[in-house]
Amino acid sequence: MSTTSPAMTAREAGPAETAVELIGVTKRFGAFVANEDVSLSVKRGEIHAIIGENGAGKTTLMNILFGLLQPDEGKIVLNGKETVVTDPATAIDAGLGMVHQHFKLVPSLSVADNVFLGMEIRRNGLIDHRAQVEKTRELSERFGLKVDPEERVSLLSVGIEQRIEILKVLARGARTIILDEPTAVLTPQESRELFQTLRGFVAGGMTVIFISHHLEEVMEVSDTVTVLRHGKHVATQPTAELTKADMVRMMVGRDVSFDRRPRDKTGGKVVLEVKNLWARDDRHLPALRDASFTVRSGEIVGIAGVAGNGQTELAEVLSGLRPASHGSALLKDSDLTTLSTSAIRQTGLAHVPGDRLVRGVDGSASISSNLLMGRQFKAPWSRNGVLDWRAAANQAVEMIKRFDIRARGPEDTVKRLSGGNIQKVVLAREFTNDADFLLVDQPTRGVDIGAQESIHDEIMRQRAAGRAVLVISVQLDELLTLADRILVMFNGRIMGEVDGDSADSERIGMMMAGLQPGNASDEVAS
Amino acid sequence: MSDKLRAFSGQIVAVLIALAMGAVIIMLIDESPIKVFMTLMRGAFGDQAKIAGTLLQTTPILICGIAACIGLRGGMFNVGIEGQLFLGGFAAAWVGFAMPLPAGLHVVVAMAVAVIAGAAWVSIPAFFRVRYGTNEVVSTILSNYVAVLLTSYLTIFLFKRPGGWSETPPILATAYLPELFAFSRLNWGLIIGLVLALFVAWFFRHTAKGYSISMVGSAPKFAEYGGIDVKRQGFLVLLASGAVGGLAGGIETLGVHHRFMEGFAPGFGFDGLIAALLANGSPIGTIVTALFFGALRNGSLLLETDTNASREIITVIQALIILSVSAQVLMKRRGDSTAGERRWKF
Repeated sequence: MSTTSPAMTAREAGPAETAVELIGVTKRFGAFVANEDVSLSVKRGEIHAIIGENGAGKTTLMNILFGLLQPDEGKIVLNGKETVVTDPATAIDAGLGMVHQHFKLVPSLSVADNVFLGMEIRRNGLIDHRAQVEKTRELSERFGLKVDPEERVSLLSVGIEQRIEILKVLARGARTIILDEPTAVLTPQESRELFQTLRGFVAGGMTVIFISHHLEEVMEVSDTVTVLRHGKHVATQPTAELTKADMVRMMVGRDVSFDRRPRDKTGGKVVLEVKNLWARDDRHLPALRDASFTVRSGEIVGIAGVAGNGQTELAEVLSGLRPASHGSALLKDSDLTTLSTSAIRQTGLAHVPGDRLVRGVDGSASISSNLLMGRQFKAPWSRNGVLDWRAAANQAVEMIKRFDIRARGPEDTVKRLSGGNIQKVVLAREFTNDADFLLVDQPTRGVDIGAQESIHDEIMRQRAAGRAVLVISVQLDELLTLADRILVMFNGRIMGEVDGDSADSERIGMMMAGLQPGNASDEVAS
Repeated sequence: MSDKLRAFSGQIVAVLIALAMGAVIIMLIDESPIKVFMTLMRGAFGDQAKIAGTLLQTTPILICGIAACIGLRGGMFNVGIEGQLFLGGFAAAWVGFAMPLPAGLHVVVAMAVAVIAGAAWVSIPAFFRVRYGTNEVVSTILSNYVAVLLTSYLTIFLFKRPGGWSETPPILATAYLPELFAFSRLNWGLIIGLVLALFVAWFFRHTAKGYSISMVGSAPKFAEYGGIDVKRQGFLVLLASGAVGGLAGGIETLGVHHRFMEGFAPGFGFDGLIAALLANGSPIGTIVTALFFGALRNGSLLLETDTNASREIITVIQALIILSVSAQVLMKRRGDSTAGERRWKF
């Protein structure tokens, strides 16, 4: 640790060994216990990862630490001093800073204005833009977070936006930084840069708390790991002593496999043939450019890419929710680009949408009612246009059993279910449609690890049943687990194809960043 | 089920709060709220004739309420029911006085033309909504003014009955909607309204089409994804809503006034909308809320003779109900400034 680093000259006086200590923290929401007697200590100068399934209480715990929630029991010790963190302002005063999962930036303002939003530097009552720019530049150089302070935020990439969020926290004097799933929106390369920055922070004596799902990243960057399960503290151990399998076992409470799924040789007939497909996004800019590929029966084709590189538009065009501007997509000799959503479904599409809460379900309706969508005119669920709700309920009971949906019953409201169980409702409906082509967009986004495994199993079963499956995912490991072939999208184009058996994430990561493998020395085309 | 119960108790609380605030306003004009409410009760349910009068006022509110329910369930806010009521009322009167037909058939044709008139009138805003995404709230509100003035013009300049009144000639007796009792003008319109409420409730709950429309209303993106033609459904929903609005006007003309006159049914369209909103878009619930507003209207007739309060106090109470229902939603989701607005999109 270098004592000459300017970061070290900041405020703390006493060399308290632990930056943050939580003792016996319990938080209840009604009958639900989100955190139960959690004790945890984070040493100064370490990167401390907190892992656990969805609903394990990670975010609740961090919100308590940052003063957004009040614990029912327990104490918080910051820098060796017991502190009652009544609100985020108290937390910030104590040197804590939090970078949320969803960025809170004003797109029309400059980087510097965003960094100092709410604590503007004033001169004669007016905002001193020049001083803000200077200060931002100084922070940016000191911490190695490259940004142009005068650029407008709306023109910047997600990776840069995250840097600005971190700068905001630093400008408020944070010495302990909490990051909530920071890499969810980044390319592998951007993630690596972030990790370098974080290592720089701890080398300068700062402390990083890092919430993550991605165990590989946790292995790569953290010094210590804390595992939470069902709101309880399971273990805190040095990362070096753990394997990925150990972590999964502690998170889920049993062994889970994320190895590549075994499979037979593929090679059915072509079910979907996409030719020179173009489409525009909501701003009428080309978002999908000249995509051509095929999907065969009994084959899983994966689409990899950082979110926002045309995958959404591709899924929407194939399902009839967005018009194509050029090209065709033949499903069993029908051109999907000329058909309505209902005609496409009749042709043989099942679709698991990426934004499942908006597209995939009616949250306010029951499970029975959600499973009825698309079948409301078919026997046995309806006769002569009159619904048979008993048949719908029977179907729901059967699906709840078959897909292991954790619900109180067929009349349970969907929005009450957890993310994984809502996704299972969507899968249950779509995978039992007897469609030849399955379009599965982000199958496990926001789904916890145990449920991820069973969703992957189900997709593999569909493959075995001879369906043609297109899986779009921003999680590369998911595609490496499932896909027979992986297509990589960047900026609306398919950059290349990789065989699933011999794929390596390094090569795919470069294509995700817009680099052609082979001439890796090229600058990132952006 | 508990969701429904909670929503229901919420509506009751909203009504009670509105009545309490109404009581304060009554006290401000130096009148006793208890006396006013008792007078309202007596005016609404005091004797046989008064109960029949209340039901007579309830009928158009109920049918307009059903029209609103159809729109709300399909995600369309038809605020033009008042205008559809006027056009339906005029169209029924025109068939009634200008087109002699055998008894029985006459009244049916007159009502059918009222239905068509209502649907035709809403088809203009419906077209713009579906084709160009024009907000149907604004366009249907505006269409009310045109409808009211158009029917006035037709009545005064083209079809005026000789004499001093701004009204059409009386309809032929063959077009009368039969009355239920000798002592009141209460007629078959009430029965039609009740049957229609039950039918619409059944339709939304138990038919495939009703399911599709409800999904368009409650989760439009989900419906679109699931293969439902959202625009087509939206158009049809507005048309059906307007048709029922036209029917309300036809029944009012054929059952009560037996002619069309300027300002023949003031505010029934809006009262129906409020009744439907208070009933959370449920046609069955609308039977109850329409009866409530019908009782307020009929009871208010006694207010000006028996108390110092103006009958406009019931308009104040209705407005307070709307305010307190919205406020309740806003308080539940504090910080979400659009919650109140979305509250009405079912």
